[in-house]
Amino acid sequence: MTPSPPPRGRGKGEAAVRVVLLLAACLAALIGCSKGSDTKGPLTIVLKHAKILGPVDPIPALLAEFESAHPGIRVKAEVLPWTSDEQRQFLVINLEGGQPGFDLMMLDCIWVPEFARAGWILDLTAGVTQDELAAHFPSAAQAGTYRGRTWALPWFMNVGLLYYRSDLLGRYGFKPPETYVAMLEQIRVIRAGEKSRKLEGYLWQGKQYEGLVVNVLEGLWADGTTLVGEDGRIFPDPERAEQVLRFMRMLIDTGASPGWVTAGDEEVTRRAFGNGEAIFLRSWPYAVDMFEKPGSPVRGKVGLAPLPSHEAGRRAPGSTGGAHLAITRHTRHPAEALELARFLTSAPAQRAMTASGATKPTRMALYHDAELVRASPNLPRIHDLTLAGRSRPVTPYYVMISTTLQPELSAALVKVKTPARSVADARRRLDFFLRDLQE
Amino acid sequence: MSRGGPAATVIRSQRRASVQGLLLVTPALFALGALTLYPTLWVGWLSLQRRIPIFGVERFEGLGNFFFLATDPRFWKAAQVTLVFTAASVALELVGGVLVALALRGQRAGARVGLSFLLLAWALPSVVTAKLFEWLYNPAAGLVNFLLGGIALNWLGDPRLALPGLILADVWRTLPFVTVLCYARLLAIPVELYEAAQMDGAGAVATFTRITLPLLRRILLIAVLFRTLDALRSFDLMFVLTGGGPAGTTETLTVYAYRSLFQAVQLGLGSAVGVVVFALVMLVAWGYLRALRHEGLAA
Amino acid sequence: MGRAGLPRSLRDWAVLLALLAYATPFFWQLLTSLKPEAELMVLPPLFPSRLTWEHYRVVLGQSVMLRALVNSLGVGVITTVLALGLGIFGAYGIARYPIPGKALLLLLIVGGTAFPQIATVSPLYLLMRALSLRDTWLALILANTSFALPLVIWLLTGFLQEIPVGLEEAASVDGASRPRAFRWIVLPLLAPGLASASLLTFLFSWNEFLFAYTFTATEASRTVPVALALFPGVFEVPWGDIAAASILASIPPVALVVGLQRYLVRGLLSGALRE
Repeated sequence: MTPSPPPRGRGKGEAAVRVVLLLAACLAALIGCSKGSDTKGPLTIVLKHAKILGPVDPIPALLAEFESAHPGIRVKAEVLPWTSDEQRQFLVINLEGGQPGFDLMMLDCIWVPEFARAGWILDLTAGVTQDELAAHFPSAAQAGTYRGRTWALPWFMNVGLLYYRSDLLGRYGFKPPETYVAMLEQIRVIRAGEKSRKLEGYLWQGKQYEGLVVNVLEGLWADGTTLVGEDGRIFPDPERAEQVLRFMRMLIDTGASPGWVTAGDEEVTRRAFGNGEAIFLRSWPYAVDMFEKPGSPVRGKVGLAPLPSHEAGRRAPGSTGGAHLAITRHTRHPAEALELARFLTSAPAQRAMTASGATKPTRMALYHDAELVRASPNLPRIHDLTLAGRSRPVTPYYVMISTTLQPELSAALVKVKTPARSVADARRRLDFFLRDLQE
Repeated sequence: MSRGGPAATVIRSQRRASVQGLLLVTPALFALGALTLYPTLWVGWLSLQRRIPIFGVERFEGLGNFFFLATDPRFWKAAQVTLVFTAASVALELVGGVLVALALRGQRAGARVGLSFLLLAWALPSVVTAKLFEWLYNPAAGLVNFLLGGIALNWLGDPRLALPGLILADVWRTLPFVTVLCYARLLAIPVELYEAAQMDGAGAVATFTRITLPLLRRILLIAVLFRTLDALRSFDLMFVLTGGGPAGTTETLTVYAYRSLFQAVQLGLGSAVGVVVFALVMLVAWGYLRALRHEGLAA
Repeated sequence: MGRAGLPRSLRDWAVLLALLAYATPFFWQLLTSLKPEAELMVLPPLFPSRLTWEHYRVVLGQSVMLRALVNSLGVGVITTVLALGLGIFGAYGIARYPIPGKALLLLLIVGGTAFPQIATVSPLYLLMRALSLRDTWLALILANTSFALPLVIWLLTGFLQEIPVGLEEAASVDGASRPRAFRWIVLPLLAPGLASASLLTFLFSWNEFLFAYTFTATEASRTVPVALALFPGVFEVPWGDIAAASILASIPPVALVVGLQRYLVRGLLSGALRE
């Protein structure tokens, strides 16, 4: 084990190099760590929002308008990460730390009660009247409240609905199905008639993520039960819940839905339907603009309908969703931030956002606005569907509940567990997590 | 001059040396205490609590979390996945590693280059390996399905295929470690031993089992120790490759702990799972070291 | 440990090619990173009609990956310096001085290398939160040091024990003080050991994922593995861009490991033989 010849002058040179590297790295670290300091002069509000998809980003124009109407206020818009999970993680990490570096933020409506409970956002009840909120969809306004106080302003809206191929249904004399039984029959007939093996029946989102919980929730509502009972317990009617899961599995087993829906999210299913590969799709309103684009294989052949129910005569609401604007609790400019929030959720701003095709407004009146309807004739339909929609459980623990449910529901769908097992395990787990947590 | 005679002088200088030694060691010990020991004790304390940071919930609960885990099917499933993953991974790495080392040993030239290809796999960040294999396993455009004749297997989406796929990725990544250890050891075996065996008419298999294997034994036991501990603690690969899915079929204890900690934000429960992993790792380490000592191999 | 040079026999070539094939996953990713977008999802053909840099342009054009490379480099270098600085004194103390309870101490330190990160991540998370170190380099440096330091001390103690004490004793007879003996006699002989320890520490720091994923929130401190794991995909997964990012993320560790093979092997062996 002879040591290799010692490198020349290694010791001192090495130490010196190390010191230099250390200093350089520390310097870079300091530069890297320092957060931008507030500029003196005009007051700056920082807005954090997710990138609004669509042909044109409406935000810069809106902010410019706000700045010109409010000299002395500058708005700096910063984009949140791509996925919903990352956005939430980013917001949570920064808000927990206490000095978040932003004033106004876009929240998925399901996060509002959680952030309110955690004490991260400002109570807006004093600055926002009931009349103001009445212009928005009731479920949107309600999603922004917690314990009777208002915490966020509704910004844009979503609702789960059924897309169907109007050309195919028309060819066989069908109207949009009111029950799942009817839908399955329609699928059978149409597929037999079309003899196209590539025609899938019903596409929905079954991947292990929030979308799956939404789909299951809608299934539960369609069967007359719910996710969170009056007493706050999960799956108040476990047998019904098992039934719903069994039904979703059956969709795949019988081939009404392709096997890959268990890995499908919004975009994957939208693309398949948009390529003309399926008869029915459960999705959100954003998709219709994509379907009606020039060059789309399904242009002019798509209809919108409420989701089917499991029993004739019973309503099956779609799940509502969307985004709100909330103000950080320790912002230095609460009044100005509220002004900006008001502005962005005002009718003109929401109209501009809808016109660029990316989002749907929370203000009910806009759905009958002549200009908007001309560009997007489905708006009144979507309005009715949204009004009949139902929000996900408005509780600070919704994310905890959802992330706990996701693996269980997924296990039931891919047949790793029986639905009975999944429901039982989910209940047990959530009972443990939620025990004596006050709302 | 010093009092007490020569013996006292020696004792004094010994003591001074001890103190000097302690002074040298103190900064490192302080850092270790603060960063390694203190958190280890703290996690034990956390595991006895009900702790949800974002809602400010902080309450002592005793063994409540552990009682929950004892009857938690997801915990036991994760334990099973962890053990299967560890056993399969280590076994395959061992066999593969020895075979490759033997092949390298026989190289008259080009072993350096060959070793470089192996070390490349080992050097990659595990996240990179995860992305590599995610792409290889792609049902439509992945190389694996292509090499299997164009069959569209959904590796990472099929509950039966995900774990084998994960194990394969891990073996690819860590086999070089075993190879390097064995190869270095093999090089130290004198060629004369093999020549003597050849003259005695021993075949390849006999040479292997009678000469090579016993000499490799010690390094193999050490390799198994290291690899077992690493596999038990493994997190990056499964988290990025499959996220523990589909439906928990690749969810090891580490992934379960992480999800409990930062998704469900149940710091108490997650810490309890972490404590279990810690105990498991320490138990295995202790067991191995005992075994090594019994065989009189420990230094 | 020679055996360099080109193989001459058929068997040698066969083994070499087999090992080349072992690295196929990496080379496939390299090829993917150079494949035009349109040809990515079609297989066969295996090889693209032309090579393109578009994916690298995309990856380097977004500041995220570049920033991540800087972060990883900075965190890696500082962690290595810190761990080595603390470790070398600690190792020297343990190797050369009669510290009470030395055997137990060494055992605990070696045991420290086996600690699972998942167990220490929750208390470290609370610690970083309390110290407001979220999303900073310092958080990662401290977290990485927590598992790098035991390893460094263990390795260096082993290397030091290989260097005969007689050399220092001879030096002290010649009138050299302890520090001088250390600086001029021990350090040069320890250099390969230091190189091995530095290499392993930097490598582990670069590849570290769990702590980095948990303690970072924005690209201000995100390291390369985290940036890669969170690679944005708008609608579909951008496999080509991810491949390019993977290759970029691999260059430093691969270059170090292949180039400094000797030190790496020595480090791994030394750690293994000194259990």
